Amino acid sequence: MIVAVIPAYNEASRIASVIKGVSAYVEQVIVVDDGSTDITSAEAIASGARVVKHMHNCGAGAATMTGIEAARRLGATVIITIDADEQHDPKDIPALLKPIRDNLADVVFANRFGQRNKIPFIRRVFNGIGNIVTLVATGRWVNDSQCGFKVFGPRAVGQINLRMSGFEFCTEIVRETVQHRWRIAQVPTKVVYSEYTLAKGQSFSNGVRTAFKILLRSFLR
Amino acid sequence: MNLTPYQIGVPLLALFVMLYAWNLALRKKKTIWEALLWTFFWSGIAVVAFWPGILGYLSAATGIKDQVNAVLVTCIGILFFMVFYIIIRLEEMGQRQTRTIRSLALRDGDLPDPTHNSHKNSGK
Repeated sequence: MIVAVIPAYNEASRIASVIKGVSAYVEQVIVVDDGSTDITSAEAIASGARVVKHMHNCGAGAATMTGIEAARRLGATVIITIDADEQHDPKDIPALLKPIRDNLADVVFANRFGQRNKIPFIRRVFNGIGNIVTLVATGRWVNDSQCGFKVFGPRAVGQINLRMSGFEFCTEIVRETVQHRWRIAQVPTKVVYSEYTLAKGQSFSNGVRTAFKILLRSFLR
Repeated sequence: MNLTPYQIGVPLLALFVMLYAWNLALRKKKTIWEALLWTFFWSGIAVVAFWPGILGYLSAATGIKDQVNAVLVTCIGILFFMVFYIIIRLEEMGQRQTRTIRSLALRDGDLPDPTHNSHKNSGK
């Protein structure tokens, strides 16, 4: 069973469209409302998704892990995680699923830099720094380590256990691939950056804090 | 070579910490990479303690010119290490709170009981 997990925080204006796009490729959609103060939950339910709601905002990592746990309880064998801000194109899902279906990978990372996409220069720099921090912390290079669009195969679904609550979870997933010796694949995907998605992204200070936490935790773990 | 207690104690401490790190790695609580980072860091401390002369080129910049200063700098390093450790502990308390919120969300999410749909290969 293929389940999509969408962590969402104040995404009432976008969530219905993302659910609609994803529904064509999965059997169930789980939206994790991470303490939104708008009507994200109501919109998600109206669009046919199952909603799990955090009473407080815990961060993207915590919301993703809640969604993964909910999907496990529903019997998911494959989990797709996708951002709620419409930056990803659900039409890329079949390409991301292929390495799992062909039993070539346990985790598939979307790579927003693998094809021609209009990505602001500053975003490229931030993601590059994120990749380098991830390499230092985990010893593994991933072309787009900070992307929220991923597919987890049966082995990863059974074993994954994220502990980091914030955006550091992306690096933690790479660490999990090293720890559990999961096979990875990287698939170029489309990305659409709008003013909305850019405003939703991490600020520089938040990025520095995230990098610091990753390095500190990898050292003191 | 006349060794001071400091030159004997610090490399022994470094050896202990490195063995601890590799023990964690063997028990799969640390990755090999993380154990290598620890080994690199503590080896450096042990080497500097054993042969403080190799820091000679840094002495002008840091002011470390003798054993007393080296001990002070090491103590400051240990204090930093302790502060980092407290930060990690605080973070773990935050994680505990997050786990509680997540558990409540899953409980209220009308989901099947995990004991009837368990993932026995989870390894956790």
